[in-house]
Order: sequence, then C-alpha cells, then structure tokens
Amino acid sequence: MAAGMPHLSMARANAGRPSAGSAGGESAPTDWMGYLFVGLFALPFFLFNILPVLFGAYVAFTKWSIIGKPKWIGLANFEAAFADHWVAVAFHNVLLYGAIVVPGVTVLGLSFALFVNQRYPLAALARTLFFAPNVVSATVIGLVWVWLLDTQYGLVNHYVGLLGLGPVPWLTSTDWSLIGVSLASIWWDLGLVFVLFLAALQDIPRDITEAAMVDGADRVRRFWFVILPHLRPVISMVVTLQLISTLRIFSQVYVMTNGGPAGSSSSPIYYIYNTAIVRSLFGYASAIGMMLFAVILVVTLLQRFAIRERA
Amino acid sequence: MSKQRSGARGSPGNVTRRRFLKSASAIAGVAAAPLFLSRRLYAANPIEIVHWSWLSASDGEVWQKMIDAFNEAHKDKGVQIRMELVPEEQYVTKVLAAVATGKGPDFGWGTAGKGAQLARDQVTVALDDLASQAGLDLADFSASSLKASRYPKYDNKMFMVPMDLMSLQPEINLDHVKEAGLDPSDPPKDGASLLEWAGKLTKRDGDKVTRSGIMMTGSGVQPTVTWGIVAEQMGFQRASDDLKTACVNPEAGKAAMQWVLDLFDKHRVSTRDITDRYKAFGNGQGSIFWTGPWTLNGYVQQKLNFETALFPKIGEKRVTYFEMGGLELYAQQDTGRYEATMQAVKWLSDNSFLWTTVGRGASPRKSILDRPDYKTAGHPWSVRGAFIDGMEFATVGEIPVVNGPNFTVYSGGNFLAKSLEGVWAGQVSIDDAMATIQKQWQADLDEG
Repeated sequence: MAAGMPHLSMARANAGRPSAGSAGGESAPTDWMGYLFVGLFALPFFLFNILPVLFGAYVAFTKWSIIGKPKWIGLANFEAAFADHWVAVAFHNVLLYGAIVVPGVTVLGLSFALFVNQRYPLAALARTLFFAPNVVSATVIGLVWVWLLDTQYGLVNHYVGLLGLGPVPWLTSTDWSLIGVSLASIWWDLGLVFVLFLAALQDIPRDITEAAMVDGADRVRRFWFVILPHLRPVISMVVTLQLISTLRIFSQVYVMTNGGPAGSSSSPIYYIYNTAIVRSLFGYASAIGMMLFAVILVVTLLQRFAIRERA
Repeated sequence: MSKQRSGARGSPGNVTRRRFLKSASAIAGVAAAPLFLSRRLYAANPIEIVHWSWLSASDGEVWQKMIDAFNEAHKDKGVQIRMELVPEEQYVTKVLAAVATGKGPDFGWGTAGKGAQLARDQVTVALDDLASQAGLDLADFSASSLKASRYPKYDNKMFMVPMDLMSLQPEINLDHVKEAGLDPSDPPKDGASLLEWAGKLTKRDGDKVTRSGIMMTGSGVQPTVTWGIVAEQMGFQRASDDLKTACVNPEAGKAAMQWVLDLFDKHRVSTRDITDRYKAFGNGQGSIFWTGPWTLNGYVQQKLNFETALFPKIGEKRVTYFEMGGLELYAQQDTGRYEATMQAVKWLSDNSFLWTTVGRGASPRKSILDRPDYKTAGHPWSVRGAFIDGMEFATVGEIPVVNGPNFTVYSGGNFLAKSLEGVWAGQVSIDDAMATIQKQWQADLDEG
C-alpha cells in the first residue's frame, strides 16, 4: 500500500536516532562521514578565504612591505587613505562606473532576452551571439576593445564618423576614458545577464500572458503589468551581482587604460593593486581594501532594501 | 523484514571514529607524499639555478638566447639555468615575497639605483667578495658602471654585476624625413631645429594631429621621461648632489612642464590620443620617438626604415636619461648556492657580446667595447650607434635612496608620473604639481 511506503522510509531514516524520551543507555553513533564531507570544503574555505580576509584586516593597521614583521601603526593607514586624493578619485570613478554599467547591462540584457524569447527569426543565432562574449576572459576583452576604441583607427570611431561626428578619444581623454571602459564591460557582462533574464522569461506561464492579451492589454501593458512583476526577483539578483562586480573592476582598467589618463578611469581594486604589488605598501593597500569592503556592503544592503521595499 | 540494529558494524552508512581517523590520516599521507618524493628526485638532478627576468619585449628573445647558450655550454657540467618571466611592475614585490619565504630566485635582473630597499633589507646579496672568488675581472668594467652598481649608504658595496648601459635617444622614421624634404644626415641638434623638424613631419586633419612629429602619449612614461630629460637640460635637479635638498631650481622644472604641454597645445606636433607608443611608431603614426635600445630588435625585425640620432640640446646642457641593467643575486637559505650562481653570472657577463650588440644597451666591459667587430656586429651602427655614443651625456639616472622609485623619470605609474598626469590633462596647474612633487621628494630624501 502506498501509505505504508513513506512509513517504511521514515523508519529507515529514523534508524539510529534516539527516540524522544528514550531511557538512557545507548547513544546514537556520530555520523562522521558528514563531517568528513563538510570538512573537505570547510578547511580549504577557511584557509584560503576566511584567513586571508582576517589577515588583511590585521595588516590594514600595520606598516608592512613583506620583509620583516608588520609594524602596528593603528589607524594611520586609514587616515592616510581618507586624505589621499587618488583614493577619493578611484571610489568616485567606480560609483560612476556602476551608474553606467548596471543600468546598461540590465536594460540591454532584458531587451535582448525579450527579443530572443519572442522567437523571431534568427533568435537562435542571436542567443549564441549575445552570450558569446561572456566566455572570453576580461583581459582578452580589454585588449580587443583597446583596438576597437582607438581614436584614429578604431572601428567604433569609424562608425561614429559615418554619423558625421568627430573621432572620440575614448581611452585617451579624462572625459571619455571611463565611458570607454564601461562599453567594454557592458559588452562582456551582457551575456550572463541575458541568459538569466531569458531563463526567467521562459519560466513565466504562457497562460498568464495570453489571458492579458485576451483582456486587451497591448504589448507595453503586458510587459509592465505581467512580465515585469514576475522578473522582479531576477532583476534584484542581477542588480546585486552587477553592483558587486562593478565595484570590483580591475582587468579592463589594467589592460585598457592603466587607470589613466590622470586617474580618470582608476578603480579602487586597481589602486590597491598598484599600492600593494607595484609599491609594496601592503598595510596601506589593505586599509583601502577594508574601505572597499565596507562600501560594497553598504551599497548592497541599500540596494536590497530598496528592492524589498518596492516588492 | 529483518531489523538491523542501529550502529551495527559493517553497515555502509555509519563511520566510526576510528575509521574516520584512519581515513583522514591516509588522505593526509597521500597528499604529503609528493613533497618527499620530489626532494629525492631533485637531489638526483643537476644544479638548477633559478633566474627571474622581466624582459618581455624583443630584447627578451635575445636574452633567452643567452640563457640557452649558457645551458648548452654547461649541459655536461651539471649546471643549468631555469628562467622564469615575471611582469616588470610586479617584479620587486614578487622577489620580496619569494625571498621572505625562503624560495627566492637565485639571480635576476635589476636596474641600478632602484634597489636601495632590497639592499637595505638584505634581499640582494653584496657581491664584492663573491665576484672576487669567482674571478670576475672588475678592472674590465667601466668606472661609471661600477659606481652605479654600488649603494653609498650601504657600505658602498656592489649589489649587481653591470650588464648593459642604456640611454634614451631619438629614433627617426627616415621615410617621413624624405617625404618632408629634410636632410637625414643633419638631424636636429637643438630645441629650435627639433621643433622645426617636428612641425614639418607632423600631419594634421583640421585640428587633429594624425601623424605626430614627436611621438608622445597623453599620460604615462613618455611625457614623464621627456619632462625629466628636458628639465635637467634646463638646469633642474631632482635632488641636490648631497641628496639633502629636493627640486633644485624648480623654475626650470616648471619650464620643462610647459615645454611638454606646448608640444600638444601650442606647436601641435604631438597628440594625446596615442595609447601604445611602441606600436604607433612601428605603424608610422609618429616620426621622432625617443626611446631606448630595447626597441631595436623589434623594429629591425619589422624592417622599419629608421635611424637613431643624439638627443638634441633643448636647454642649457645636453643630457639624456641613463639606465644600467645588471644581474643581482638574491638571499638564499642555502648560502652554498651563491658560488654556482656567481659563476653563472660571470659567464653571462663574459659572454655578453651578443647581448650588447643585438639585445639591448652598450657594454660596460672594456674588452667587449674594444673588439674590432663591436661596431659592425649585431644591428647596424646607424640604429645602434647613437645609444652608445650618447652614453657620454647620459647622466639623468636614478636617485639612490630607499624611495628612489618615486624619483624615477622612466615610469608611467610611480608618484612622479601620477603627479604629472594631471598637468598633461590640464587638471592641475604647473605650480601645484611642482609643489606636490617637491613636498613628497623632500620627505623621501629626509627618510634616507
């Protein structure tokens, strides 16, 4: 009988567990296999994730250039970081960068997903093309876009010229360098966001959209009142992931502009890299890293709060 | 249905404490085994000297040939060099980290004057005694190269074996010169003729410079080193001779900043829109490009039609940037390795004819310079000669203090380059930039 089967499996599941109120005497043996499997993950995670963060937090309060022991200097690194013009520039740049890339990737990703979801002709090809950049490394993306954005010979300026506009100094001007880096990042990040939105769109029950159509809702109203509410969780996830990703940008900056000109495209991670790896100021770099951690945490919490409030 | 007692032995789902500990020990043992095995295997192999190099441009190809030649010559003697490439900007930090953990390379490339911190922290090894024991003939080295290899603040000991001397000189695209109707045998010798040539060589499309008369970038190394050279030509000194005062004659430094700005904004012979100056010169996007001999191999292979000339005298005196490359030994836990490493370095120095005729800069060894084929071997003298003849006035070198990298003029990312970037971008005034530079440099000199 079907009713007996769950009872049997429950009995097996409960085998070895002390029954409630059982008299003292036999205690159940510890399931060490579980700890073994957890330990295989937990130990490396602690060694290579948690411990370095804790060490970095400690180093942030010291003066250290690898050789010799870290010398405790209290809050001096943080005071220097707050007074450092280039730190302020880096954080300002990355917030601006986030303001360009996050909406850009979200809107374009959703648009492409809507296009592919409609099953227009060439939708299958479009799906591949939209996702393709995401499988390439950020370094390769940066190198390719350096050539695409070249002021004199770049492909982008060639098409800009066809519109009757002058060549744009995408990577060599303080006004445009951040936008140039943003273009490359949007193109690269689009693939993953597109796939997430496409999966979410395909999850929406067709009968809901069909019912709205029958009720006379046009395309815009169907999108705004039917599709968008269903996408809210995905939008929240995409925005959160993109925010964290943009605040941590490094590869594109390093490859395309080296943070220049005049620090106009510098990012906190790039500045940390320069401070630690090039100048060997590990204590100072760690302090800036802690500041970045705090900024990411605050921005993420604010964003989650805003999304939750609207829901 | 038979009932099974919970915790019965042999039941597949339960692991006893004893079985868990046995499994964990076995896994740990398997993981640690390669460490012991590899040590036994290593002991049976020849001595492997680990060498770190950052040379990744066309000069790196020639250096690889040098290492290959050493390995070929020593394959029956049980000594081999294993070379590893490390990006230049990460080199010092990686060396520090490696030496701190006792796993530093045996020797690597250094730049004279930039290693004061390494010498202070005993990361690099003083070589006077080792060189003597290895039989390296120090009398064969030029006096200036030996002086550059020492740090006065650290007992004036020698911390590198000089390998080549480099200076910055203009490379000139001869196709552009002929097209402009200029005489290639009479290159510019002063500031006025330089700007005259640059004006004739520049091509413009309206307001935009499409081919630079003088190759420049809007930020990074090129404008920084140009400022450094022109400033010292105009009478500016980054530090006084006694290393106590920073920014001697700051007005000359400011005038040099204006000279660089005028290339973009007044004379319009340069553009800020170049991103890769090496590629741009190779592609014909610039006509006059002052750079170092590390570019020769690449442009010669590319069959670019160019010559080098001596750096013009733009200010009161003719000087140019000087850099000396050398090989330095790093601290090892097993000090017995120094002897074999020093022998390898001695061999590379004694056999550096290829390196100093095809690879990079001029030789510091008198015996090599005196060879009758020194001028005819390697790259043509028309492209190599100025780098060697120009050593005579190549005096804009490094400031040998712990924070010496802050003073380096050949840098795109150090304090100096970052401070000047704002000037090139029009965001910072010349006066403010000089004040910032002076303040930091004075603090660096005070630190020692």
